[in-house]
Amino acid sequence: MPEVVITVEHLYKMYRLGSIGTGSFRQDLQRWWTSSVLNKQDPFFQVGEEFDSGKYSQHIMALQDVSFEVRQGDAIGIIGSNGSGKSTLLKIISRIVRPTEGVVKGKGKVSSLLEVGTGFHQELSGRENIYISGYILGMSKPEIKRKFDEIVAFSGVEKFVDTPVKRYSSGMYVRLAFAVAAHLEPDILIVDEVLAVGDADFQKKCLGKMREVSQSSGRTILFVSHSMQAIKNLCDKALWLNKGRMQAFGHVPEVINKYLNNNQKTNFRQSWDNPDEAPGNNWVRIKSVELIPKLEHSENILDIRTPLLVKFQFWSMKEDIVLSAGLLLFSISGECIFDLPSPTTLSHKGVMEGECLIPGDFLNDGSYYISLNFVKDTSVPLFDFDECLSFDLQDYRGEIQWYGKWWGTVRPKFPFCIKQADMVQK
Amino acid sequence: MPSTTNKWEWQIDKSTSFWSHSPKELWAYRFLLAGLIKRQFLLNYQQTILGPLWIFFQPILTLVTYVMVFNKLIGISTGNLPPVVFYASGIILWNFFSDSFTGSSGTFKENAHIFSKVYFPRIVMPVSIVSTHFIRFLMQLLLFLMVIIYYSLFSDLRLHLNIWILALPVSITFIGLMALGVGLLCSLLTAKYRDLTNLVTLGIRLVMFVTPVIYPVTAIPERLRWVVQINPLTPLFELFRLSLFGEGYVTVPQVFYSLGIIVLVLIGATLLFNKQCDKLIDVV
Repeated sequence: MPEVVITVEHLYKMYRLGSIGTGSFRQDLQRWWTSSVLNKQDPFFQVGEEFDSGKYSQHIMALQDVSFEVRQGDAIGIIGSNGSGKSTLLKIISRIVRPTEGVVKGKGKVSSLLEVGTGFHQELSGRENIYISGYILGMSKPEIKRKFDEIVAFSGVEKFVDTPVKRYSSGMYVRLAFAVAAHLEPDILIVDEVLAVGDADFQKKCLGKMREVSQSSGRTILFVSHSMQAIKNLCDKALWLNKGRMQAFGHVPEVINKYLNNNQKTNFRQSWDNPDEAPGNNWVRIKSVELIPKLEHSENILDIRTPLLVKFQFWSMKEDIVLSAGLLLFSISGECIFDLPSPTTLSHKGVMEGECLIPGDFLNDGSYYISLNFVKDTSVPLFDFDECLSFDLQDYRGEIQWYGKWWGTVRPKFPFCIKQADMVQK
Repeated sequence: MPSTTNKWEWQIDKSTSFWSHSPKELWAYRFLLAGLIKRQFLLNYQQTILGPLWIFFQPILTLVTYVMVFNKLIGISTGNLPPVVFYASGIILWNFFSDSFTGSSGTFKENAHIFSKVYFPRIVMPVSIVSTHFIRFLMQLLLFLMVIIYYSLFSDLRLHLNIWILALPVSITFIGLMALGVGLLCSLLTAKYRDLTNLVTLGIRLVMFVTPVIYPVTAIPERLRWVVQINPLTPLFELFRLSLFGEGYVTVPQVFYSLGIIVLVLIGATLLFNKQCDKLIDVV
C-alpha cells in the first residue's frame, strides 16, 4: 500500500459571522483575556453540540470533526453542496487559513490552485504574468524559463504574450492562468472548482492534463468539483462533505451515489385543475403527471425490480393537430438514459392522456427524473415539461454477496447463462 | 499502519509560531521577492509617458516646493548647508522612509485577495515593498550625489570625505529597517481595524515634523530638542548629513540609542507578524 502523505485529524474550523465593529473588538479582548492571560479555553469555541443550538448563532462551523488520510498517488474528489466546507478544507491543507481545532500533517511540496489567475495583474503582459504567478505558486525562475514555451503553447496565446492581459478575452486570460498552474510539479496538487470557467474544449484539456499529472507521474491530487462526471473520470476516491461534516469517504461511485441520493427530492405526482394556471402554452397545457410504482405491497420501497407506470393528462388547446409526446428519462447527474417518442395521434380540443410502463429489472439503483415533451407533425416542438417527476430506486441484490456499487445506468435482466461445454477427463 | 512510521515534513494546526519559516523555505521564495520588486517597478510606470523618469521628477518637484515655501517664504535656517542640498537630502530620505512604511503597512489590505488564495511566506510581500523603495532611493541618491558634486565645484559647499562616510550605508539601512518594522506592526493592526488606517496616515505626517527633514536639529531651541531627539529617526538623518558634509548634530550614544530601538522594533514586529499573519486571513 502506498504511504500516507497527508493525514487530517479531527479538523474544525469556525468562522465568525456579521460585521467587524465594536462588538468584535470587545470579544477580541475577552478572548485574549481568557485564552492568553487566564490560560483557559477560548470562550467562543467549544467542541460540542452547543453550536447547533443557536446560542452561538454568530458563529458558523465550516468544518466539524473531519478526519481522513491521503495516500501517495491518490486522486481524491471532494464533493458537497455549496457552503459545505470544501473550499475551507482545501484552504487549510494549503496553509492559507488555520484550523480552529485539529491538525493536518503531511509530507512533500503542496501547490494549490484555488482560483485561476491568482497574482495576475491586468496591466502586465502575458509574459510578465506567467513569471509572477509562477513565482507566487512556488516555482523557481529556471523552472519557469524551462517550461515557458510549453506554457504558452498550452494556453494558445502565442501571439499576445507581450500584450497586457487586460486586453485579453476572458477565455484567453483563463487559459493562460491555468496553463501556468498546470505546469507546476508539486508532490501534492490541490485544485478547487476552477474548471467551471472556460469552454468545454478547454475543460477537457484541463482534465486531461490533470489526469496525466495524477496517473503518469503518480502525484497526489485533491480536487473539488461539482461535476460528478469530472470526479468519476479523474478520481479514485471521493470525500463527501455536508454542512462541514464528513458524510462519506471511499470509492467514488458509492460516495457520489450517496451524495446524489441525499440531495434529490422525490416527486411522484403533480396536477392542475385549471388550464389557465397549468404549465404549458397555447398548444398544450399539463393537467397531471403521475408516477405509479407497481408494488406488490404498498409498504414496500421502490427498488430496481419495481415496474413504474408513468401516467399523464394534458389539455390539447387547438383543433386537429398531429401530436406526439416524448418521455425522457435522465439520471440525476443529467445523462439521458432514453428518449421515447409516442406514436402520433390526431388530437382534438380537450383532454388527452398517455401512459408508459417502465419495466422492473431494467434500471440500475440511483436517482432519476423524467421530462415530457410535446411535438407537432413529428418535428415541431410545442412544449417541454422538464423534470416533472423524479424518483429513487434502491438497490436489490438478492442472493449476491457483493456490496460494491453496481456499474452502469441500466441493469437489465437479459437472458444470460453460462454452462459447462466440455470437461477435462479425470 | 504505515502512518506510525512516517516522519511528517509539515504540520498545520491552530497554533502559530513566532518562527514560522525556516531559512531554507524563505530562500526558496527569493524568486518571488525579485519578481514582486520587478512587478512594482513595471506597475508604477505603465501607461505613463515619462515612465521611470518619475523616480527623479517627483523628488525634484517636492524640492522646488520646499525651497520656495520653507526657505524663501518662511525662512527656516538650514545651517551651513545650501538649502537645495539640505532639503534634497531630507526629501529623499524621508520619502524612502514614508513610502516604505505606508507601503508595508498596507500589506494585508492590499493583498487580501492573493493571501486568501495562495500560500507563500507573507513576509515576502512587505519586504518586497521596502526593497522596491530602497532601489528607488538608491537611484535618487545617485542624482543627489550629482547635485552635491555640482555644488562643490561651483559653490562653497565642502565635502568631508573621511571615515564618517562609512556611516552613510548604516544610516540608510536602518531607516529602511525602521520603516519595515513599524510597517509590519501597522499592517497587523490595520488588517482588522481599518480605523487605524486614518490614524496611520495622520501619524506619518506628524512624525515628519519631529524628524530633521526640513530643518536641522540645531535650529530647534535647546530646551525643546529632546522632543525631536527621542525620535529614533533623528540621529540617522543627522548621521546621513554628517557623513557627507561633516554637518550634523548627533552623538555616538544617540546613534546607538537609535540602532537599538530599531533592532528591537524590527525583531518584535517580525515575530508578531509571523505569529499573527495566518490568523488575520480570516478577517481581512
